[in-house]
This record gives sequence, C-alpha cells and structure tokens, in this order.
Amino acid sequence: MTSADQVSRLLALVPYLQLHPDADLDRTSADFGITTTQLIADLRVLWYCGLPEGMPGDLIEIDMDAVAETGRIRLSNADYLRRPMRFTPDEALSLVVALRAVAELVGEDAAEAVRNALAKLETAAGTPTATTVAVSGGAPGVREQLAAAISDGRQVTFDYTDAALEPSRPTVAPVRLITSDGFGYLQAWSPQRADWRTYRLDRIAEVHLTEHAVPELGEPPEFGPSWLESSTDAVAVTLTVTPQSAWIAEYIPVQQLRRSETAVELDLLVADPAWLRALVLRLGPGLLAAEPAQLLASAVDAATEALAGYRAG
Amino acid sequence: MTQQKSERIMNLTICLLMARRFVDKARIREVVEGYHGLGDAAFERTFERDKDELRLMGVAVETGSNDVLFPDEVGYRIRREAFELPAIEFTAAETAALGLAASVWESATQAGQAVSALAKLRAAGIDPDPTRLAGLAPRLGAHESAFASIWEAHTDRVPISFRYRGEIRRVEPWAMNCRRGSWYLLAHDRDRAGARIFKLARIDSAVTRIGKPGSYALPSSAEIEAHWQRLEPAGVDDSALLAIRDGRAADLRQRGTAQAVDAPAGYSAYQVSFARSGDFVADVAAYGPDVIVLGPADLRAAVITHLEAVAGLTSR
Repeated sequence: MTSADQVSRLLALVPYLQLHPDADLDRTSADFGITTTQLIADLRVLWYCGLPEGMPGDLIEIDMDAVAETGRIRLSNADYLRRPMRFTPDEALSLVVALRAVAELVGEDAAEAVRNALAKLETAAGTPTATTVAVSGGAPGVREQLAAAISDGRQVTFDYTDAALEPSRPTVAPVRLITSDGFGYLQAWSPQRADWRTYRLDRIAEVHLTEHAVPELGEPPEFGPSWLESSTDAVAVTLTVTPQSAWIAEYIPVQQLRRSETAVELDLLVADPAWLRALVLRLGPGLLAAEPAQLLASAVDAATEALAGYRAG
Repeated sequence: MTQQKSERIMNLTICLLMARRFVDKARIREVVEGYHGLGDAAFERTFERDKDELRLMGVAVETGSNDVLFPDEVGYRIRREAFELPAIEFTAAETAALGLAASVWESATQAGQAVSALAKLRAAGIDPDPTRLAGLAPRLGAHESAFASIWEAHTDRVPISFRYRGEIRRVEPWAMNCRRGSWYLLAHDRDRAGARIFKLARIDSAVTRIGKPGSYALPSSAEIEAHWQRLEPAGVDDSALLAIRDGRAADLRQRGTAQAVDAPAGYSAYQVSFARSGDFVADVAAYGPDVIVLGPADLRAAVITHLEAVAGLTSR
C-alpha cells in the first residue's frame, strides 16, 4: 500500500469517525474495504496528525485504549476535517460504471432512483462519464415483476425458452436477480425438481404471481462460470465453420479454436443435443462439417421437415 | 515504513488547508512536524515529492503570492472549495443503489476504487440500507488481459499503442463499454484520423503508453454516444409474416402481432418486424420446422436456401 492510498483514506476516515461517534471497528473496516489491522495502523498515523506547529492541544485525539478494549473508535479535535475529499477520477469512474450495471438489472420502479443517483454522482465528480455498461437483461417489466415477487416472497410462473429453444412453463420460488458476463439471470428454487435453477432474463416472458409463498430456503449456491458448464454427460464435438462464421466462437463456450486458410475448427462440449440442433440450424451454410457427424442427424431431420413444410405451403 | 510519510503528508495537507494565505516554503518547513531535522537539499526533495503525491491523489495544491509587489515569492495553499466533496443529498432509494453499486465489480482494482468512493459518501453522511434491493446481485467482470491498462489509460487520458488483429494501432482512448460481457474501447485512431471501436479481447499485445496523461480532449458525450450506437443492433426496418407452431418460439410471438390469415394446421400466423441488416434468416432457421416464413418472398427464399445447406450436411 502506498502513502497516497493511506492518506487518501485517512482524509475520509476523519470525517467518517466524527460523523459516527463510537464507531465499531469491524463495521468501519468493512465500510472502507480494509482489515481491522490496517484500520488500527491508520488510527496510529492519525494519532500524530493535527494542526501545524504540533502543540499538544493541536493533535487529533483518539482514545486508543477504548479501541483496544471495546472495539469502539472515539475521535475528536479535528473540526477542520468535517467533509471528505472529492472523488479521484478513478473512484468516480468505478462507482459510476458500477451504478450503470445496477441500472441494467433493476425494474422500472427503481430505475428512476438509479438514474437520479447517477446524475448527482456525476455532478459531484465534476465530469460526465462516457463509459457504459449494457446487459442483456430482458424487459424491465419482467425484472420489476420478479423483483417484486422476490421481496414479497411469492412463487412465480412464466414462459421460458431455453438455449435449445425448447419452451416450458416452470413455477419457481424466485430468490435473486444476477448479472454475469453481460446477461441477466434469475436464480430460483424449483419445487418440482427440488433443486436450484437459473433462468436467463431475456428468455422469460408472461410472468404471473402465484398464491404459493416461497418456502424456507438456504442460501442459493454461488453463481459462477461453473454453473453453466457443470454437466455430467457432455459430449466433445468439433465443428468446422467458414471463416465468415468464426465469430460464433465469441458467443458459445469454445474450448479450442484452430484456424486455416479456408476454415475454422471449434472444439466444444455439448451437454444438450437440442442446443446443438439449434446452433447447427442457425449456422446453416456457415457450417461445413461436424465430428462426430451423427450428432448432426437431428438438425438435418429438422431442416428436412422444415423444407417439407415450405413445399406444402 | 510509510507511516512517517503518511503522517507528514497528512500534516502538510492540514497545514495548507487551514492557511488563509499562501504559505511559503520556509514556514512550511518550520511548522510541519515531518520536515524538522531534514537538511536543505533533503527538505527540498521531500517537499517536492510530497506535493506530487498530493496531486496524484487529486488534491489541488495552488501556488501563488500574497504580495502583488513581489509576485515571485511563491507560497502554497489548498482551497477548501476545491478540496472538499461538494454538498450532495441522496434519497433512501438512491442511497440503496449506491450501496449495491459498491459490490458490483469483480475485478479487484475497480472494486477497491468503488468501495473507497462509497466510503467518502459514507463520510459525508450517506448510509445505504442493505435490505433494500436485497434480491439483486449485479456483477461486472473484466476477463480481458488488456483491461487494466486500457482502463487506466482511459481514466488518465493518455495515448497508447497496441497490436490489434496483427496491426499496430496508436490511439487516444475516449470511453469504454461493456456489452454482453465483452469490453470495448472507443478511441481516436491517430493513424486513421478517426474514431474506432476496439474489442479488448482482440488486442493481442501489451498496451504501451505513448504520451502524457491528460494530453488530449474528449469529444462531447453526445458524440461518444453516437459512436457507441454502431454497436447496437440495427433498428427494425421490415416485417415478415411467419407461421409459428402453437406453443413454440415464444420470443418471436412476443415480438409480433397475431394475424387472421391461413396457416398450416397446428400453426398460427404472426407479423414480426426485423432488421434487414441483422441475422433474421438465421434467427428463423434456428427454429427449424417450428417457424415457416410466409412472406416476404425474398426472406422465404433465403431461409429455404439456408435450411437446404443444413439438410445437405453429412450426418453419418
């Protein structure tokens, strides 16, 4: 840690401690994102700070005994540092961009508060921030309904289209709205399956509240990349695509990519055959071959059936 | 270690902040505890470094003279209005959003900066209620290896160079955008003399600084917004009549309006708008036999050609 970091924090700590008399050591370190050991080191620095000329009555007073015995911080004699310093550009930018990520997930009702907070924060920072965040979080109305159901503790039912384009109408106990890697998700408990489920927000429609309350549930599992990948019966597939279709690699979980002049080979693990069928149908002439080839059978059948439909119509 | 240095810089800050007039160097050396006992050269060096540290923290140290007759007699001060966070009031709902924002970043550096910004707000009397917005957990990550250096360069407004798809580019970073989990940089490209958007994942070298911080001006927010529009999906400019199998393709049905026209048994007709420049052929083909294009004719023909390619694949 540099002195600049520490001094910057001390200049916020002094007004904070004057505003929160008898502040709790743990709570204060959490608010500043530091360990209690670091906070005590900070207090020891402040102990030697004060008005110029350093006369005994000029120093900031901290009851270090009380800190040690009760974990409470009492700071006085620092009237001249009643307000924190302005944001540094990096602080302002980091908080503003984070707030924009919040704006992408809240429902319509809370969106205005987030926008107002953003405007005030930018005014305080002195410069508008052009860096932005866009999350594919579905319709604001859907998020608002789900957020309301979560705070009311009510189960919901909705239309869902999964990655394989299979429709379903699950009834679940909603617990949390999450964003991860640019997509919004609902984390929910499925009473039918007696398991945790995640649903992508942009694939949810027609949300209805049910009369069923959300049962007592523990904490949902931590949402992370492993959530989407964890699957027991995934099959290794290699798709050969044209260079023009190689962009697909940025949207699907590719394990390895090999380029040649005329084609790009993508290795991926496929857990859901229906997902692969939709991907193959989407790629169309962009897909040159697949290995093992029999995994293409259901897509070929679906295309053949579709073409028969066109001939009939 | 740095404890004495932190004390000295704190005391210097308080001294300059409390001064009603510019304070000259001799006086600073006399009254600020940490400068006692330093020789002339050591004092000069230490004082200059401390001032640099303060500027680095964003504290504006002004120089000037108290005496119009002797304007060369340099003194220093920190103006309170320039130093303090301006008065700022938030409603409970706004405060809750700020509290949530401080937990959004997954990358440690930005997370630390957001927490320290929130700590300043707490020091100004803002106290987020963590039970509001409790069901929300937005996360903002940055997996690209170039992210940290690009982020710093765009905060500092420093020109940089990097290799992008095999070519060296020299740019002035304007703004960044995280879209569907991928970070983009909008920058003025010096060699191409125009604004360009770079996907961070495609930067395939280290990022080198090629100028001083703050060495160029940013365009207006409106201009930056207009450049970002290029990343947005094109607006809809046409519409298609689709036969959708009952119970399937809910997203297409939701985008469209039901039509009272003939459709095959088990299907219903919907008018759905789409962007000509987009990927609507693939979007429709992905549904296979669940969606049949009834019109316009060129879209119908394009989907048939697309499906014929799939039907012709070797599957054994």
